[in-house]
Amino acid sequence: MTWAVFRRALVYVLLSIAAFVSVFPFFWMIIGATNTSADIIRGKTSIGGALLTNAATFFTQVDAPRIFFNSAFIAIVGTVLTLIISSLAGYGFEMFRSRFRERIFALLLLLLSIPFAAMMVPLFVMFSQAKLVNTYVAVIAPTVASIFIIFYFRQATKAFPRELRDAARIDGLSEWQIFLYVYLPVMRSTYAAATIIVFMANWNNYLWPLIVLQTADNKTITLILSALTSAYTPDYGMLLFGTVLATLPTLVIFFVLQRRFVEGMLGAVK
Amino acid sequence: MSSLKLSGVRKSYGAVEVIKGVDLDIESKEFVVFVGPSGCGKSTLLRMIAGLEEITAGELDIGGKRMNGVDPSKRGIAMVFQSYALYPHMTVRENMGFALRFAKVPKEQIERQVLEAARILALDPLLDRFPKELSGGQRQRVAIGRAIVRQPEVFLFDEPLSNLDAELRVHMRIEIARLHKELQATIIYVTHDQVEAMTLADKIVVLRDGVIEQVGKPLELYDNPANQFVAGFIGSPKMNFLPARIVQKDAGTAVIELVHHEGVRLSLPLAGGAVGDLVTLGIRPEHFGLPGEGAADMTLEVDVAEHLGSTSYVYARAAGEPIIIEREESRDQGDQERITVSVDPSRTYLFDQAGQRIR
Ligand SMILES: Nc1ncnc2c1ncn2[C@@H]1O[C@H](COP(=O)(O)OP(=O)(O)OP(=O)(O)O)[C@@H](O)[C@H]1O
Ligand SMILES: [Mg+2]
Repeated sequence: MTWAVFRRALVYVLLSIAAFVSVFPFFWMIIGATNTSADIIRGKTSIGGALLTNAATFFTQVDAPRIFFNSAFIAIVGTVLTLIISSLAGYGFEMFRSRFRERIFALLLLLLSIPFAAMMVPLFVMFSQAKLVNTYVAVIAPTVASIFIIFYFRQATKAFPRELRDAARIDGLSEWQIFLYVYLPVMRSTYAAATIIVFMANWNNYLWPLIVLQTADNKTITLILSALTSAYTPDYGMLLFGTVLATLPTLVIFFVLQRRFVEGMLGAVK
Repeated sequence: MSSLKLSGVRKSYGAVEVIKGVDLDIESKEFVVFVGPSGCGKSTLLRMIAGLEEITAGELDIGGKRMNGVDPSKRGIAMVFQSYALYPHMTVRENMGFALRFAKVPKEQIERQVLEAARILALDPLLDRFPKELSGGQRQRVAIGRAIVRQPEVFLFDEPLSNLDAELRVHMRIEIARLHKELQATIIYVTHDQVEAMTLADKIVVLRDGVIEQVGKPLELYDNPANQFVAGFIGSPKMNFLPARIVQKDAGTAVIELVHHEGVRLSLPLAGGAVGDLVTLGIRPEHFGLPGEGAADMTLEVDVAEHLGSTSYVYARAAGEPIIIEREESRDQGDQERITVSVDPSRTYLFDQAGQRIR
């Protein structure tokens, strides 16, 4: 066997392992949703006939419309606000010169290194003093100014041609209009990529909602699923059915924005 | 169409001054070209006129109105950028009509003005394309079209042709000259291309380090440069500069001798100066004569000769210094080890140590 062939084989083997590792949980989840808990524990890996039973159990145990509404509301509103606020900040940081710009930005990046666990308690105290515990606002508010997304937008804005802004100023646009009518459409790939990242983070957010959402009717699907796991004898079939449902929105968003996501990650300004 | 007046215009970025007091009058319908080496402040000056950069000190008038601090869209200017700066998400038609849309011009009138500009630039077939579907030359035409649609008093161009290949550049240069005639507009044009400056300009402004070195008609600058910098900057190939010394001085005339060519002496009318002063002799490559034609002959070692058909350029050396000589092809006998040329004193320039022209 020549070196080239060997290398090729090695690449394929490694890629297959990587593909298996990332695809297997999905496979397992879908198979599991159609099997009874007992079959799953036995390690059955083929489609079973328990899908409808699992669905029925799930819908009786969980107030699905309410819970999915909670999740969707928090994820959508949170994503939209995060994109607006963080992209404005990223645009500002890159476009406007100021003596303090880099220092403020460095400070922000420094803040990125503080783990959320360290801020959890003070945050909770703040929200409870503001009487906002157990509201959507409490879940959404701490996430909308995302330092990471600001950083991401600032980096992406470096590729935004300055002369476009100059041309727009000469064409009579105000700074807000430039942002809305020129920057936003030109940067749509960046927005698409950020949408996926932020939506996924919001949809899957666990720790903070767990702390501030206290009544069952306000909880998100992520919290509910985790609560179901901790039952004395968890019904894995029903759980995996719920997991499939919980995964769908992210998958849909990803497939809708996939092409732009790749462009955005490559930093394409077209 | 408007005239412009800049008085004592300065620009500083923090502690660094990049425009150091510019006074300039531009007449209505004039085609003015800013030239100068990279970083001398051409773009900055243009952007200050456009309102894209603040004016640190001094005054800018357009059409008799003070424009310091006025919004770029209210100055009656339009600008064409080096990178075209077309909005990538809009069609050619939308790009061209964008400014009017924001000026709340009625739809039908926008359409009329866009079509009119498209006609002038032969853009009609491209109106529904996006910028990425256009060639470089077409993009540049759209950028110019976008400027025309706004019917500005003053057009500002910042190196509009430098991203185009040589052939297209010639074509667009002629196009711009034609537009100037057709639109009767005041144009300020930044370039560092000699040929663009010489052919397009009614008036050339030579800048160096944020200061105007000289203003004048193209041929005025060529024939009568005010100093060594302008002499070296205008004209291609560049003027040759040879160190020389005044060896004899009478009232109104002087004899100079080239430092590296003892025996090459020229007698010139000269008002100032004293015996022993070091000066710089400037001779354009095209002004060397055949042996015996001028007042003094000089023999040089040839490095390379380039034959372009109608002319040839001989790159020679005199005591280690490069000298370029332009020759009409038919008068020369191909490559030689050495070349002898003559210098006609009436076709030379003389500069003092500070670079000021003394003759
Ligand atoms: N925003 C800025 N901050 C600090 N200095 C600047 C800024 N913009 C330009 N300069 C400086 O001002 C000087 C003039 O720049 P300008 O762009 O006007 O040069 P230019 O003549 O157009 O050069 P080129 O031919 O390369 O385009 C340069 O030395 C440049 O470094
Ligand atoms: Mg420039």
